[in-house]
Amino acid sequence: MVDWRTLVLTNFDYLLAIAVLVVGFVAGYLVGRVNERVLRAIGVQDAVEGTSVERTARRFGTSVVSLIARFTSWIVYVVAIVLALAVTRLVDLRALWYRVVGYAPAVAFAAAVLAFSFLVGDKAEIVVAERLRGVKIPEIGVIPVAVKYAIVFVAALVALGQLGVATLPLLVVFTAVVFGAVVFALIATKDLLTSAAAGAYVLLNQPYGIGDEIRVAENQGIVQEVDLFVTRVENDGEEFIIPNHVVMRNGAVRVRN
Amino acid sequence: MDSLQDLLGDLVADVDALVLFSPSGSYYERVTEAVGSDVDVVVVSGENAVGANAFVDLPLAFADVGERIRFGVEGALDNAYVDDGDVLACVTSVFSDELDTVSRVRADADRRSGVYDLFVHSRADPAVIRDVLDLVVELGRKGQKGEPVGALFVVGDAGKVMNKSRPLSYNPFEKSHVHVGDPIVNVMLKEFSRLDGAFVISDSGKIVSAYRYLEGSAEGVDIPKGLGTRHMAAAGITRDTNAVAVVLSESDGLVRAFKGGDLVLELDPEEY
Repeated sequence: MVDWRTLVLTNFDYLLAIAVLVVGFVAGYLVGRVNERVLRAIGVQDAVEGTSVERTARRFGTSVVSLIARFTSWIVYVVAIVLALAVTRLVDLRALWYRVVGYAPAVAFAAAVLAFSFLVGDKAEIVVAERLRGVKIPEIGVIPVAVKYAIVFVAALVALGQLGVATLPLLVVFTAVVFGAVVFALIATKDLLTSAAAGAYVLLNQPYGIGDEIRVAENQGIVQEVDLFVTRVENDGEEFIIPNHVVMRNGAVRVRN
Repeated sequence: MDSLQDLLGDLVADVDALVLFSPSGSYYERVTEAVGSDVDVVVVSGENAVGANAFVDLPLAFADVGERIRFGVEGALDNAYVDDGDVLACVTSVFSDELDTVSRVRADADRRSGVYDLFVHSRADPAVIRDVLDLVVELGRKGQKGEPVGALFVVGDAGKVMNKSRPLSYNPFEKSHVHVGDPIVNVMLKEFSRLDGAFVISDSGKIVSAYRYLEGSAEGVDIPKGLGTRHMAAAGITRDTNAVAVVLSESDGLVRAFKGGDLVLELDPEEY
């Protein structure tokens, strides 16, 4: 006859540990399943479709969604195992604990940020490429790639910052590049920007419209088209394409007769 | 005794060029391999999916095969893919989506209907003309609340058109920035189509005005007898300006396009 009472009492720690493990594994599995369902329901699968991360995942016979779900399950499993070990006091966890608690979240966060940035970068590359498909310049393919790597770069900076690596030089270089690009773009597109600002006024207030006869800087004719950047004025056989900032600077004369 | 192959082979015997309408990629490859370099291959399609060198953009899936072939041949002539007097074999589809029909045509530069010209060499963007035609075809099919409607769209050269017309009432599109092809426009124009007068659309597709009474002179305009004043006004304004006019007839429900005072295209909306 086994004395269940004493057996349970003497081995209480171990039974508790087993219970913790069982509950942990069941909970982990369920969390993973629910997570997968939720991720699919909010359309993550469609969002990552076609990205290289998803393609890589596919090559290993899985998908991003199930990988993320699996990952959440594993976190719960690991927590359960650590808890079970703590309950049984088989290992002295304190040494491990400090390290893990101190460093693990940062590592996990850095990994998550990096993985997420690859996903977002890929998606951004696809979206930008689709937007630019109508532009028939072969070199335009550089822009989507640049967008992707900019996103990954920023994420890498964040991840490194999490891990406590000094990123200041990288940050300085990055800032310099971005600043240079912005200044360059501003100078290069100065006329376009002023034209667009003037064009917004012309389009919204319509001081002149299609069909009106106007004169801008010696060019007189009938307005054929007004868009954000230019006004097209036509007289017999000549079409003047006048940037809107010229219209603003010189003013337009409406000819009425 | 002729075999079936010989008899039908006459159709494609000694042709100078082969005109393929919307071929699949594999079919195009088989064709280019089969004919080699003796026969030019021209692809007429909505987009150049097969990467053909000689390609004519088909802006509208003409339901009428004659019209479709005429467009393709005129496009090939215009791009100098074929020469005047060449004999062409046109491969297209009539009953299914697959290529099922061969037609032997002589490219004749003097007898152009102007349907290719209408799209490509008009002032307005080809895409704008296509959008307007789509819109008018849709309007013709559905009508206004089931009732047949008429409509007149003048596309391109809007400045001149505005100066050759006068408003019948306040312009509902004043200070608006609506372009044909915007999704909302279909609904809007259907509602506005009960208005009298013409719609004026600019080269880039902006709807400039509705309610315009066209004052183009109809002098010397020759359009088929039996068409009403709306068609006459459309033909007149296209003769006086570089615009294109698209008309939906209220009486027979057909869509007609005018350019330079001439009727260049006639479509039955029910077939689309």
